[in-house]
Amino acid sequence: MKSEIRHQPSRRTLLRLSLGLLAFRLCTPAWAQPGAAPLRVITLFQGATDSAVALGVTPCGIVDSWSEKPTYRYLRTALEHVPHVGLETQPSLEDIVLLKPDVIIASRFRHQRIAPLLKQIAPVVMLDEVFEFKETLLQMGVALHRQQMAVALLEQWQRRVAQLRAQLQRTFAGHWPPTVAVLEIREDHVRSHLPASFAGSVLNELGFSWNVASQAASGASLKITSKESLPVVNADIFFVFMRADSQAVQQNYDSLLRHPLWQQMRAPQRQQVWQVDGVPWSMSGGIMGANLMLDDIARLAAADSIS
Amino acid sequence: MSNGLKLGCAALALLLCSLLSLAVGATWIPLSQVAAAFVHPDASSISHVLVTSTRLSRTLMAIAVGASLAVAGALMQALTRNPLASPGLFGINAGASFFIILFSSVFSLSSADAWLWCAFIGAAVAGCLVWLIGNMGQGSLNPLRIVLAGAAIAALFSAFSQALLVVNQDGLDTVLFWLAGSLSERSLSVAAPLLVCSLFALLGTLLLAGQLNVLNAGEEIATGLGQRTGLIRIAMSVLIVCLAGSAVALAGSIGFVGLLVPHMVRKGLSIDHRWLLPGCALTGAVLLLLADTLARVVMLPQEVPVGVMTALFGAPFFIILARRGGRHG
Repeated sequence: MKSEIRHQPSRRTLLRLSLGLLAFRLCTPAWAQPGAAPLRVITLFQGATDSAVALGVTPCGIVDSWSEKPTYRYLRTALEHVPHVGLETQPSLEDIVLLKPDVIIASRFRHQRIAPLLKQIAPVVMLDEVFEFKETLLQMGVALHRQQMAVALLEQWQRRVAQLRAQLQRTFAGHWPPTVAVLEIREDHVRSHLPASFAGSVLNELGFSWNVASQAASGASLKITSKESLPVVNADIFFVFMRADSQAVQQNYDSLLRHPLWQQMRAPQRQQVWQVDGVPWSMSGGIMGANLMLDDIARLAAADSIS
Repeated sequence: MSNGLKLGCAALALLLCSLLSLAVGATWIPLSQVAAAFVHPDASSISHVLVTSTRLSRTLMAIAVGASLAVAGALMQALTRNPLASPGLFGINAGASFFIILFSSVFSLSSADAWLWCAFIGAAVAGCLVWLIGNMGQGSLNPLRIVLAGAAIAALFSAFSQALLVVNQDGLDTVLFWLAGSLSERSLSVAAPLLVCSLFALLGTLLLAGQLNVLNAGEEIATGLGQRTGLIRIAMSVLIVCLAGSAVALAGSIGFVGLLVPHMVRKGLSIDHRWLLPGCALTGAVLLLLADTLARVVMLPQEVPVGVMTALFGAPFFIILARRGGRHG
């Protein structure tokens, strides 16, 4: 009896060691030659899906998009035939298991409560927020062994931002920096996206400024139910997009345009209301979406100089 | 103080609250400007436009909805002989919510005008179902069976609503604000038919007040006095559906007004329905106006749903009332 007890730990240690070595040997080639054995990755939020495509990785499972269902148009060609594992807010764990992923990209904001279950399925990369696109890109670069590519993408982004900022400064000569507001028109109210939102962070990088009310407000967006409160979004430039392609949203926008308080604000008076696509501006949350945002802002910079 | 004087005071309070509601908002508009907006309106003045467009419609709607809910609650409590009865017990809120969710998610109907009618039809359907189920079986209407049928129908419709919302998450966000109750941004022209409907229903209940007193004496006494109790009850139910249905269609589900106001008025004024019903109408209107005015400014520039506001004030008041052991009529 005694001898057996003494032997057991050593057997276990041996087993552990060999398993560890096995795991090491299995993993080594992937580190040594990135891309040789493509990782099976499942992305559980929009920004992660966007970043995976940006890194040249086709996920083996993604979640439904918020609009333009089931996949945003700008990602559709890259993600054809990729199976869906449910909604960002409630992914199907069974579908995830069946896809046998090597790594799962999730976010604490959405998936905190299912994190222990996800960890039993595969290693999980947990991002804090769903819209911090740079952090998402960097961490995914590490997890997918494409660190260099991620860094290159971010450098490219910085160059583009610097270029566009210089162009904007020329366009708004004497008025730099102008204040901006990002307005999302919904059926029965208007959402003002604040500096802490995805769109807000990109506009911040470009050097735009915000009015006092937006700077003071906390959170990512402000819900403006009563049109009487419109003056809190007053700014030199409005970026406006619709929540959905529906009649009620359009009607709400039309009634907004007719409202005397709207007509009194600076952007409408200076004809600086730019209608943009809501997918990159509020629902993508990834580096590709952010670049699409820059395309929209480049239109503005290319316009004639603003008086 | 005589009952007449008390009613007069309530009417005066209603007038003051209406003026307050016209003046208070994201920006304070002085009362002189409010008066000028009605006497000689100036289309180029923004404060005049605000008063005559958004704030006037909001004020009128708060008055109509508050009065309708309170009177519907009083009728409901008389009909079911249950002091805890409120219009919601007729399944009216659940029916209205379900129809809005059904039509907005399945038939993608998203204009506010269409929602108004969806909600009203939903409320009417739920009310009729409760009435039919409560009336089935042994001939005459049984108050207990109405309560049970109401609870069952309300549960059924909420279950349907939740099932639809699970399938269609997008709908949730838009419906949520409506579900919590709100009076903002409803245009008067769209709401007019329902406002007229609730006005007529209010007048109808005043005509019925004397009969309600007789009915409240008990089924046998009422029959002995020659009252056609079945007919009176049908009339009451139709009025409840009209009042609560238009209220829920105009403003979403606003709790506590229908439950609380009848108790307040019973304590403060009279248990005689000829005084009780007008008292309820005035007090309900004042209460909802105050709640809505507060909801506008408590968290500027955003708004609190007015339903949250009424619950916030209603719940503590109701606890006090229950602890004092109020007698219910």
